[in-house]
Amino acid sequence: MNAWLRLIVYLVAAPVIGGLLAGWDRRVSARMQSRQGPPILQPFYDVLKLWQKQNLAVFPSQNYYILSFLLLVIFTGALFFAGSDLLLVIFAFTTAAIFFVLGAYKASSPYSFIGAERELIQIMAYEPMVLLTAIGMYMVTKTFYVRGIASHGTMLVLVLPGVFLGFVYALEIKFRKSPFDLSSSHHAHQELVRGITTEFSGRTLAMIEVAHWYESVFLLGWVYLFFAASPVVGVVMSLVVYAFVVLVDNVFARLKWQTALRSAWAVTAVLGFGNIVILSLLP
Amino acid sequence: MNGFKKSPWILHYDASSCNGCDIETLACLTPVFDVERLGVVNTGNPKHADIFLVTGAVNEQSKHVIRNLYRQLPEPKVVVAVGACAATGGIFRECYNISGGVDCVVPVDVYVPGCAARPEAIIDGVVKGLAVMEEKQTAMAADRGNLDQTLYAAADVGDAPSILSLAKAAALTEALLHDDDSFPALKRTLPQLQQEFDWRLFFKAVVNGKIIGAISGRLTGDTVSVNGPAVHPYFRNSDVAGRMLEEVERAFRGAKQFEVCIGNKSEQLLLELVKAGYLSFKTEVFTPKITWVYLRKEKK
Amino acid sequence: MMLVLALVLVPCLAGVILFCLRAERPRRTVVVAVTLAVCAGCVALACRPPLDLGELPVSRHAINLGMTAIEALMGLYILYVGVRARHFLIVALMLAQGAVVGWFEWTAGADADAGLALFVDKFSIVMALINGIVGGGICLYALGYMREYHTEAHRDVPDRRPLFFSLLFVFMGAMFGLVFANALPWLFFFWEITTLCSFLLIGYTQTEEARRNALRALVMNLAGGLSFALAMVWFYRNSHTLGLQQLIYSGHAIALLPAALLCFAGITKAAQCPFSSWLLGAMVAPTPVSAMLHSSTMVKAGVYLVLRMAPVITGTTVGLMVAVVGGVTFLYGSLAAITTPEAKRVLAYSTVANLGLVVLCGGIGTYEAVWAGVLLIIFHATAKCLLFLCVGVVEHKLHSRNIEDMSGLILYMPRVAVMMMIGMAGMSLAPFGMLISKWAALRAVVDAHPLLCFFIVFGSSATLFFWVKWMGKLVEVVRPQSRLIKEISLDESVALYGLSLVTFTACLFFPFFSTQFIEPYVAGIYGESGFLGQGNTLIMVIMMVVVMLFPLSFLSHGRGVKLVDPYLGGGNLQGGPSFAGAAGEVENVTLHNYYMTSIINEILLTRVAGLCAVGLLLAMFASALL
Repeated sequence: MNAWLRLIVYLVAAPVIGGLLAGWDRRVSARMQSRQGPPILQPFYDVLKLWQKQNLAVFPSQNYYILSFLLLVIFTGALFFAGSDLLLVIFAFTTAAIFFVLGAYKASSPYSFIGAERELIQIMAYEPMVLLTAIGMYMVTKTFYVRGIASHGTMLVLVLPGVFLGFVYALEIKFRKSPFDLSSSHHAHQELVRGITTEFSGRTLAMIEVAHWYESVFLLGWVYLFFAASPVVGVVMSLVVYAFVVLVDNVFARLKWQTALRSAWAVTAVLGFGNIVILSLLP
Repeated sequence: MNGFKKSPWILHYDASSCNGCDIETLACLTPVFDVERLGVVNTGNPKHADIFLVTGAVNEQSKHVIRNLYRQLPEPKVVVAVGACAATGGIFRECYNISGGVDCVVPVDVYVPGCAARPEAIIDGVVKGLAVMEEKQTAMAADRGNLDQTLYAAADVGDAPSILSLAKAAALTEALLHDDDSFPALKRTLPQLQQEFDWRLFFKAVVNGKIIGAISGRLTGDTVSVNGPAVHPYFRNSDVAGRMLEEVERAFRGAKQFEVCIGNKSEQLLLELVKAGYLSFKTEVFTPKITWVYLRKEKK
Repeated sequence: MMLVLALVLVPCLAGVILFCLRAERPRRTVVVAVTLAVCAGCVALACRPPLDLGELPVSRHAINLGMTAIEALMGLYILYVGVRARHFLIVALMLAQGAVVGWFEWTAGADADAGLALFVDKFSIVMALINGIVGGGICLYALGYMREYHTEAHRDVPDRRPLFFSLLFVFMGAMFGLVFANALPWLFFFWEITTLCSFLLIGYTQTEEARRNALRALVMNLAGGLSFALAMVWFYRNSHTLGLQQLIYSGHAIALLPAALLCFAGITKAAQCPFSSWLLGAMVAPTPVSAMLHSSTMVKAGVYLVLRMAPVITGTTVGLMVAVVGGVTFLYGSLAAITTPEAKRVLAYSTVANLGLVVLCGGIGTYEAVWAGVLLIIFHATAKCLLFLCVGVVEHKLHSRNIEDMSGLILYMPRVAVMMMIGMAGMSLAPFGMLISKWAALRAVVDAHPLLCFFIVFGSSATLFFWVKWMGKLVEVVRPQSRLIKEISLDESVALYGLSLVTFTACLFFPFFSTQFIEPYVAGIYGESGFLGQGNTLIMVIMMVVVMLFPLSFLSHGRGVKLVDPYLGGGNLQGGPSFAGAAGEVENVTLHNYYMTSIINEILLTRVAGLCAVGLLLAMFASALL
């Protein structure tokens, strides 16, 4: 499938898939709590409703940051699925995340402020592992280009098990799920009210939701890369990893940010970097 | 498809409840009743919520909080008063600290009776609130859609009832901003307003047959004292206010000055007036929280 | 040749003139004229680089004698300073250095053949452009800044502005000499001048703290100078030449130890671990000093030397040790910058960290690494300088260097705040310069020594944290602010706007700089060069467009948005960011950043990093000697 076609499919299908994943997440979590749970299409109803609500803000400019965040997340996924340089994809994603954080800073409320600081700490926690994942993939496939990595012969997870495990740990942080839902809380667990998203409403909040959907699809696409040698296994494993993330979300309580940061860096150093050391020692 | 019926997000506030109704409200979230299957999410945040669920009677402290939260709820919003205390004050009605039910602070759309209200009744109340919200949303969308067909005309005594409710709604918003409900417009009665038609000229802005804006002026000597403009909350961000000021100026073409008086916290109104060329020249303290600001526009 | 000589001598001459000018007006004229002339000269040089410089107008011998005389005078002055301060180490180092150089001049000086004394290649043109344009901007800025410094902000500091400006320009001339010098003794001469200028400028305020920090800077730079002198002597003894170019192209047997010694000199000059304390202490000096000497130009001389040595040390243990020192410094600086709320200290740590990254690239020494290193130099010089100048202005207006006091700066001083955001975005955000450089550095590291990526991945995550929390502090608005009427003076605004423009164009046109200057230089040495590639350049451009949409969105003036108070639990009180507290009391909202002092201990980190670095440097020398 050529790059342009993949791009268009991504732009159109990613929010749909992301929304379905989010709805499925809520339903499965409800079932785990002996409840019925909302319909799978619930996130779409939510976004539709939010789109028609009045837009309240503390400062008008906070919404522009979120618009940039959405555009950059879409751009990141587009880069990824078009097959370009993985490092650039990571840096684009980081820029998107920074715009999100700056929007929350702009809102200047105590809850959004602490949510923003914690979101930054989360970024600091997962960034090394994400970079090491790209480096690990480069060391095996000799290319940073996603299309090169995807078409590599061996299944990467077999050569990069430590990196994979560390990446799943980082995924838990990136999906903002327990035990790392420090900066914002979906569903019923509230600690900072709504944390980083507290001061956004209406269309802007809908944009944040949609950006999270694009983000989920991009992250699961990256999981697929570990199993890209066999596409069917890849898709299945992406869903399995997502299910695992949902399971962990329901089982664990939230960590303190100090523990989250320390544990993430420790896992990165031991599992991720350890894997890379072993790879570099092998002939 | 509106989406509101499928995704009601709730802000739950305990005004001064004994927590009985609150426990029942939170019980709705438990597996027995599982209100999330209707898409209901208990957000703690007014900016994310559609339905403002209030339990307990209202005292002075919670009046202040309810006003703040109501202001931070985006339109369209629905207020559901849960329990006897929220509806009327319940058994605490005669207490020295209780002002009454929630409707003495904000307009309530749905009352859920009971002490404590049962979860089934609460869910039923929320569903009825959804229907109200759908109505409001349709009205809001339709009116907004037809905004370019607004009719500006002189009003007569027959319009007095609609203008009265409009003025009260506008005054309520100002009262929320100032956290003080001693605005005279809130206490005006219909006969008083009808009498005013004798010595003031009234103008109205009409969309879809409904009056969404009103303004009045009275000429004394060279000066026209302007009352208003009062604009329906849904239309605050449009140019209705500015157009109505123009109407008054056109009607009193010979006058040299136009004066208007607003509360000091009514920033949006102030912006509209400044845009139309009004400048402030006097302030007068009315209550500790309200200071009248007098603005004047000179006509060449 | 004349242009190069002019670039070196005109600023020095201007320095001498400025020393004699007491009045403001003539000083201003001289500064503006010389700055413009220098900028024009650099650009002219860049547009038509001379292939062959030709002969010196004066005899080599005469110049050498003059240099020796000036060096002797400088040495005596430093000895005097050391004795007066009873600083044993300064005296010892200066005597040792004097002995080495003296012995060298005695035995070899006259017939030392250095080939070309001066030379011009693409790398030195890049450094000259930075020195001229960025340095010139700083000198312009200093006019307005120092006026306010002495008349309002620091009335207790004696006004020695003639000395200040003369030192700035002498330093600028010395930097030009440094980057154009091929003869090692000439390089050494200019190197020592920069050390002396740094010492005098750090001690400008003449307070106890300033004196102490100036002495510390002097000691560490003298150690580097001694190392430089030893390198010169050793190289001459083994090859009977004294040219930088000859050093680079000699084989390992001859060149490795001098290269290690020169890298040591570069490491001290660039304030790498364990020598980073002098740079942090140097922040007591006025802002133009911090910007010019201690972020954009002088410390760049240190990394310039390390990058020059890259072809020699690549693939050796010496190179590896240098690279690890750089990596350790990068990680150390990035983590330490999180813990401090003092703006200039954050900038200093960030400078140390970024220089560590360049040293890392230099130590690795492959063509990709050197390409990345030069890019890093360019982008760091412009963005960091902009930040320092903005912080200087803010410090004057707020009377505080604390980041926590900069809350709401976007309303109080909007233009300066926006320029600070540009600088910070330039340091940390894709698609701006530093990100491209980090991308290049990461690729270089992964291709050569994958394990070194440890430092980069952890360090770059840490840098993100402190930059973005500072940016957030600038945009947050907790209490209503009215705009400051006169934000900055004319001189300062010319410099600031100019530098913002330079930062911006450097990012926008970096492919042009890369293909015109950096790639030819790297390819000239290694035969091939790192490059961004057309596809990636396109991606960068698209991203730049998307990011640029952000400021354009402000044109919509927030239509359709209703403004309300932030959520404070429903307790919002009218009139400002206050809320009703527990007993009905009025509480104010304050937002305070995280500084993570409980998990990052600055002092412990400094000690650990310093110890590691000492071990690494010892290993470096050991492997060079064996």
